[in-house]
Amino acid sequence: MSTEILANLSLAVQKGRAKDVEALIAQGLAEDFTAQQLLEDGLLTGMNLLGVRFKNNEVFVPEVLIAARALNKGTLLLKTQLVEEGVKPIGTVVIGTVQGDLHDIGKNLVRMMLEGSGFQVIDLGVDVAPETFVEAVREHKPQIVALSALLTTTMGSQRGVIEALEGAGLRGTVKVMIGGAPITEAYANEIGADAYTADAASAAQMAKSLVAA
Amino acid sequence: MTGKERIARILRREPVDRIGIHEHFWGDTAKGWKDYLNGEGNLERFWDLDVCECWPLNLVADLDAGSVIVAEDENTATYYDGNRATLRKHKFKDGTPEHVDFFVKDRENWEAWAKPLLLAGALDRRINYAAYEQSRQIANEDGRYFVLSGVNVFELMTYLCGHENLLAGMALDPEWVADMVDVYSRMIVEAQTRLIEKSGLPDGIWFYDDLGYKEHPFLSPGMYDELVLPGHKRTMDFAHALGLPVILHSCGFVEPLVPGFIEAGVDCLQVIEIKAGMDLLKLQRLYGDKLCFMGGIDARVICSNDKALIDAELEAKIPVMKQGGNFIIHSDHSVPPTVKPEIFRYYLERAAALGKY
Ligand code: B12
Repeated sequence: MSTEILANLSLAVQKGRAKDVEALIAQGLAEDFTAQQLLEDGLLTGMNLLGVRFKNNEVFVPEVLIAARALNKGTLLLKTQLVEEGVKPIGTVVIGTVQGDLHDIGKNLVRMMLEGSGFQVIDLGVDVAPETFVEAVREHKPQIVALSALLTTTMGSQRGVIEALEGAGLRGTVKVMIGGAPITEAYANEIGADAYTADAASAAQMAKSLVAA
Repeated sequence: MTGKERIARILRREPVDRIGIHEHFWGDTAKGWKDYLNGEGNLERFWDLDVCECWPLNLVADLDAGSVIVAEDENTATYYDGNRATLRKHKFKDGTPEHVDFFVKDRENWEAWAKPLLLAGALDRRINYAAYEQSRQIANEDGRYFVLSGVNVFELMTYLCGHENLLAGMALDPEWVADMVDVYSRMIVEAQTRLIEKSGLPDGIWFYDDLGYKEHPFLSPGMYDELVLPGHKRTMDFAHALGLPVILHSCGFVEPLVPGFIEAGVDCLQVIEIKAGMDLLKLQRLYGDKLCFMGGIDARVICSNDKALIDAELEAKIPVMKQGGNFIIHSDHSVPPTVKPEIFRYYLERAAALGKY
């Protein structure tokens, strides 16, 4: 059992090489690595490293998109094994782009990074009404609700979701994270959100620290 | 000096009476300013801007598609557009339709469906000669700089495949993307050739290609150089061969791509979006000898409707920019209806006064 496989797996994710990921996982399982090791020390390590490089303008959206696809391929292959090993997601996140807003590239990157960090993510899509968030929180009992908004005219809908959660008596059960190009820390404070981050990699880190707290 | 002379001279770096002045407005702005505009529907004329634009080309894949309804419920209708993108529109609300899906996600449907349609000829049907001729005549009469405007390859590809499929494709199958760039850039050149032969030269060509967002370009400079630049270069070489300068519009933070833009042949970079992280004065320092600039005035400041803030913004930027002789003032995107028309007039007058040589 050589840890080289884990390093190669991390590299294959960073380069977005789905075929290599597939081969390395097969090899890793044959060499008696646990699915959890392959996931955490291979796939997720790769995604986290790439996330940092994305934040620093060293890689760009295309590289992150294909890395996320390679990562997805890997986690799919490990799925049954992970269940057998009793590995659970580190938390559940309900994510969506708020009502009136159709931008989803950023939201999708945040979802991919969250999945890449070991979260189970329920993606409600775009133009999501506050009531739909409330229903999803009732149904999936997430620890975190993540709201994306790209328009100055739809930023207000993030406040709407927080108010709807309050109205439904669910605000205390979840942490609310917000983001999107026009959003700032100050705005997050103003509307009573629990966290804001400027990019997808930091969003995943923040989510981890929110569930750890 | 007319706008036509002024902009032509600025783009050639020849002396002028003042900096250039141009602007774009939200669709609703003219509605909001209705009383003030006193029946004048042409904002370029009402505000005596220096440039007049016309968008005469249609490069959608299937010209005959119309919009085919594929599903319907109480509130929404889902339909295909001419690029076979699936869109969903609210029946009772106005607004941009939601992109549900794209038919062309990768090489397969590009080769099987879109490419043959794009190459099928019928180029004349893609060109609105009448609109171009009319606009050109009005611009001439009014003494405005007349530009032939249209989107370039990146934007065209996002209409066909959506941003995600396109950007992933750039990394996974660059030859496919290179082929799309090749086809679209040839079409742009052919359509413009035909239009200009029949209806006369414009004063310049203005391409729109949104390559950035907040703090980042969509793609790396290396990927731009490899995949997009060949298309930009072909279309810009064509303009230059006719003696026409090229303006390139891009939203977002595209500073890392500017060396590539210069290599492609951009003469004037437009919109310089401050809120996305662009820095007008820095660009002037770095590239002012090679590029003209249009834009870079923070629209949030204009939206404040506060004369003191507007003065500060103009005083910080115009005196520096005007020294280069390469500046056309413009907001860093467009002017929304929340700006009071009296304030917009004040802004234009201050800009003209400060920008006088
Ligand atoms: C691509 C794009 C589009 C595409 C969207 C495609 C898609 N599937 O998403 C299309 C063409 C459809 C579009 C439409 C419109 N757009 Co648009 N669009 C953009 C553009 C160029 C890029 C956005 C983007 O995808 N960036 C890439 C991603 C990766 O970045 P991001 O979304 O910011 O996400 C990152 C962070 O913000 C963060 N993040 C995002 N979400 C979340 C959530 C959480 C919880 C956290 C923690 C973090 C986080 O992490 C992400 C990754 O690091 C921006 C320009 C800009 N400056 O942002 C304009 C922009 C957002 N659009 C704008 C406008 C005006 C529109 C339209 C109204 C245009 C029109 N007239 O039709 C419509 C609106 C439709 C609607 N109702 O939503 C304006 C908004 C201006 C304003 N004052 O609000 C912008 C700023 C352009 C501009 N310069 O004016 N648009």
